[in-house]
Amino acid sequence: MDTQVIGHRTPRVDGEHKLTGRADYTTDWYVDDMLHGYPVPASIAHGTLEALDIEPVLAMPGVVAVYHHGNFPKLYRSPSSQAHQDQVSEVRLPFEDERIHYDGQYVAMVVAERYEQARAAAHALQARYRQDDGARPGLLLTREDGRPMESEGGSRGDPDDAYERAPVKIDCIYGIAPESHMQMEMHATLAQWRDGRLIVHESTQGVVYQHKAMARIFDMPEEQVEVISHYIGSGFGNKLFMWPHAVAAAAAARELGRPVKTVLSRQQDMASGGNRPASRQRLRLAADAQGRLQAMRHDSTTETSFVHPYVDSVGSPTLSLYACDNAAISHHLLEVNHGTPCPMRAPGEVSGIYALECAMDELAVALDMDPLELRRRNYNHEDPAKGLPWSSKHLDTCYDSAAKRFGWERRDPRVGSMTEGDEIIGWGMATSSWTAGRQPCMARVELRADGTVMAACGTQDIGTGTYTVVAQTVAELTGVPLDRIEVRLGESSLPAGPLSGGSMATATTLPAVAAAVRAAIDELKEVATDEDAPFTGADPEGLTLRDGALVDEQGKRVAFAELLAGQKLGSVSGDGQAAPGDEQNQYSFRSFGAHFVEVRWDPAITRLHVSRVVSSIDIGRAVNPATARNQVEGAIVMGIGMGLFEKLDYDPRDARLINNNYSDYIVASHADMPDIDVELLDNPDYAFNEFGARGVGEIGLTGVAPAIANAIHHATGKRIRDLPITIDKLLVG
Amino acid sequence: MRSFAYCTADDVSQAVTKHGADDRVAYVAGGTTLLDLVKLDVMRPAQLVDINRLPLDEVETLDDGRLRIGATVTNTDLAHHPEVKAHYPLLSQALLAGASTQLRNMATTAGNVMQRTRCPYYRDASAACNRREPGSGCDAMHGINRMHAVLGVSDQCIATHPSDMCIAMAAIGATLTLEGPDGKREIAFNDFHRLPGDQPEKEHELRPGELITHITLDTPIEGAGAYYLKLRDRASYEFALASAGAIVAVEDGVIREARLALGGVATKPWRSHEAELALHDQPAAVSTFEMAAEAAMQDAVPHEYNAFKIPLARQAIVRALREACRDAENANQQR
Amino acid sequence: MMEPSETAAQSAETVTVNLIVNGEPRQLQVTPNVVLLDALRDELRLTGTKKGCDHGQCGACTVHVDGMAINSCLRLAVMCEGQHITTVEGLARDGQLHPVQRAFLEHDAYQCGYCTPGQMMSAAALLEDERIAADDASVREAMSGNLCRCGAYKNILEAVQDARREVAAGTEERS
Repeated sequence: MDTQVIGHRTPRVDGEHKLTGRADYTTDWYVDDMLHGYPVPASIAHGTLEALDIEPVLAMPGVVAVYHHGNFPKLYRSPSSQAHQDQVSEVRLPFEDERIHYDGQYVAMVVAERYEQARAAAHALQARYRQDDGARPGLLLTREDGRPMESEGGSRGDPDDAYERAPVKIDCIYGIAPESHMQMEMHATLAQWRDGRLIVHESTQGVVYQHKAMARIFDMPEEQVEVISHYIGSGFGNKLFMWPHAVAAAAAARELGRPVKTVLSRQQDMASGGNRPASRQRLRLAADAQGRLQAMRHDSTTETSFVHPYVDSVGSPTLSLYACDNAAISHHLLEVNHGTPCPMRAPGEVSGIYALECAMDELAVALDMDPLELRRRNYNHEDPAKGLPWSSKHLDTCYDSAAKRFGWERRDPRVGSMTEGDEIIGWGMATSSWTAGRQPCMARVELRADGTVMAACGTQDIGTGTYTVVAQTVAELTGVPLDRIEVRLGESSLPAGPLSGGSMATATTLPAVAAAVRAAIDELKEVATDEDAPFTGADPEGLTLRDGALVDEQGKRVAFAELLAGQKLGSVSGDGQAAPGDEQNQYSFRSFGAHFVEVRWDPAITRLHVSRVVSSIDIGRAVNPATARNQVEGAIVMGIGMGLFEKLDYDPRDARLINNNYSDYIVASHADMPDIDVELLDNPDYAFNEFGARGVGEIGLTGVAPAIANAIHHATGKRIRDLPITIDKLLVG
Repeated sequence: MRSFAYCTADDVSQAVTKHGADDRVAYVAGGTTLLDLVKLDVMRPAQLVDINRLPLDEVETLDDGRLRIGATVTNTDLAHHPEVKAHYPLLSQALLAGASTQLRNMATTAGNVMQRTRCPYYRDASAACNRREPGSGCDAMHGINRMHAVLGVSDQCIATHPSDMCIAMAAIGATLTLEGPDGKREIAFNDFHRLPGDQPEKEHELRPGELITHITLDTPIEGAGAYYLKLRDRASYEFALASAGAIVAVEDGVIREARLALGGVATKPWRSHEAELALHDQPAAVSTFEMAAEAAMQDAVPHEYNAFKIPLARQAIVRALREACRDAENANQQR
Repeated sequence: MMEPSETAAQSAETVTVNLIVNGEPRQLQVTPNVVLLDALRDELRLTGTKKGCDHGQCGACTVHVDGMAINSCLRLAVMCEGQHITTVEGLARDGQLHPVQRAFLEHDAYQCGYCTPGQMMSAAALLEDERIAADDASVREAMSGNLCRCGAYKNILEAVQDARREVAAGTEERS
């Protein structure tokens, strides 16, 4: 498809709003008569709330109410069904009972006139607990393995037998510490009841899901609930599904008859607003002497909370990434006294690929083979998990291109052999991958008499650039310039759109928007060929919309604005929908890429940093190369955090979260940013959708941490299998 | 955050009067420690006395060659002050290794001296902490103590002093001028911070209502080289796991004078006289630096998660000394 | 001196604070425990300045006070009496985006946009501060008090350095 706008770099259409402070994030909403809700977190992780001393707090300045187990209104649990789009992050309702399952679980919520009054009262509220022994502080702090999850398993061939008979094998256990999303905007809700309707501003990655979940919980018709999220200070997965703070705010607003805004503190957000669960993964790989994989076995355990069974499917990519006839994955799940985990950027796969790609590096060492060569020798052309051909796979090009730009051929495989001054240079690489998915979606487009076009969809832009790619789609199909296109997202009353998650939003939304544009153009043609219209009697099929004007085969052109005005019409509109179809039975869809990483290691002071990352990623068509590249570059920065810094620290004695803030939980800063060179291959995947776009949000993160770990091994000879690879491990390891 | 009253003062005596030696009153300058901890409900002042209007924002060279720094000079201004850059490069380096641009723009010299520990159990009002609540116990002792101290610890407290600036001052040598209800007095910088001992809540030698008005740096060591090395989890905006501030004067390859102070590993800004003794009159060579590092850390006491700090601090010492000697050699060559 | 009982009685009372915000005199009634960040947002509805941690740990709340970039979450509003505050809403002048804003737009130096006002305020301040060297490493160090979880650091650095050229050209023009 020869395109004018799609596939071309353009500044974000919402850019000026974000750059001038006008973008209305949930936290920025203020309404008349608004109260502030401030949750009171439990200070134990395992036990029972015995008493709350409410009276003194009620007497504090500005305090309007304190909600807790004793007085919180009875509500209904959401069925939390993905199929019905009412999934929630934690099925347990706030204040449902007096059991405490994790540090930071809300035991009450103070509602006050002003923010500082609410916070002061929340701090003043005295709670008495009975702390139980035997808190489970985390998967990696115990030897327990939890219960088997048969649905997460899978196998082909006879991996055990093949493993036993193969000449070269490795058997390693990898651990990944629990991580925090650390999205910049904390979870936030503003709930208002107007004439029996519930209107919720929420910082969410899924207005439609929250809308439906709220309707279930408050037992209301869906039409009576509206969820709005125009701008989101990102989410990385922890804003996909609703959390209890939103329910508490909405219930308080109903009880008090006044709007209630609750913005979690960072501490609360980290304790109770989602995390990437820890994983322990055993990888067994076996190869013949030529490096051809004979067996793969990936046995994983992840953790979840006691109130919600979240399964992080870490093993899933192992069955698809390489050619190997004998492969198996299994999964166990262990409840721990943590806040409930949830999807976090490239959920499951980023963890599984970490273990798999480190194991591949270890296998390469065992084979005395270049690690890139090992991957090439096990390249597959179809998805062995599904037995279907890949729709569009160019991983070999990614390997070639990134290796060349990186200078991989100059790599001396001997550990610690490349030096410069005090520093040893280590080079490592890993494969990157994320499955490509699509969901059903609806959209509406209006061509307006003022010459503008409006496109609307009930999805949202979490910072990936959805506003912009929707505008680009409309511009591409109408020829109307971007500055005359209005995109409306982030309202559940708009035609139902997808979650902003799983790298699916672009691939899901654009085909529906395109269908709506075409429907609107068809409507315009009908109008244009009416009696007394410019193209009266013409065959609508012979008309095309070009550069914002209808043109017939003789070259007569009438701008659509002029046409509508002439017909005394304010607008014509079209509804569109799109969904995955039969292509899903013909192909397997997945994106691939490769990261090459250089670390510099100063062993005399145990200082290590990532100095260079070169990546080639194939995501099909990048609808906007600027925003897509930004996603991958940002994911690389996040991957450095995952590899070297990030870890939620729970006290082994009582499972309390110790580093619940932006200082003690360490993410990469400006100064940690390496020299980054990202190439996006441009191979539109038209089998997937008409724009050839597979999505880009997750893939960049996969493969970064293992490439770092592999580079560290090359520099140091230390094989540190537990993330993050911190200074203490480097010193001792 | 809890409510409190607020007033300003225009001069030192007014500030001291308004404070009234009341332990529920706190001075506030930069506010970067105080407000952080009030929000956590760890500090609970009933009133703040704002000292930003006090005429204490000057840096001046005294007749005897020492440098006198006003209490409210910001970390940024101090780090970039021409006298500091020229004669106390260690201080400039240490200041710029601390916190962030914004925090350095806010934080003051005296406030930095009064900085509180980052121990997570100290910062959690519901945890046991002898420093915050005498007699309540120490959750860090057997808890997550990766960031904690290995030097100057007691069985009551192992909290690390977090400052970078103070490490430089400990090495340089300085005098604090204090003013309180009983008038003015002076105290040596290295006597100001207390070891936790059995009274970890007593962090320093300030008497009730006393205010630090100035910090006067000792005269710089002629021809010395200096280097501040901070080892930390990320590259910036992060507290030290171990840091070393070294000042050395080298003549003909022999260390004539050496100062060494350590950060990130001790309960107070840690001047290592043991290391200095090991360096004195010894050749400026790695073997000497390693001896000094051994000497500095010989009394270190590890806990479950922070044993790595002992070898890490040794590494920081050796490298900082090497770089300080190189700096001294460069200075010698230029003269 | 103030007696403790007096202290408690006074503490909940509001005080008047005069600020010059984005060039305009503004008067607020706040209790002493209200930080500048909340005063700007809750009282003046200047919501461009963001709260990301409330403890000086992320930089999203960066504003200029008398020209210096600070964390507005750790500064009491009452401490700012008479001071000049510049927020992201005051960066653009006469309907023209500030060079930093233009460069952020051009370089796609953001994703979700939530840390962006703080990033830009730090960038605008550092470009005016001759004490901060112009090389990339110095800029990255000086900007490290502004965390970006989307990780748009590469584009932010490019934007800052691009804006530097424009600011320098503007300065030459004026002089």
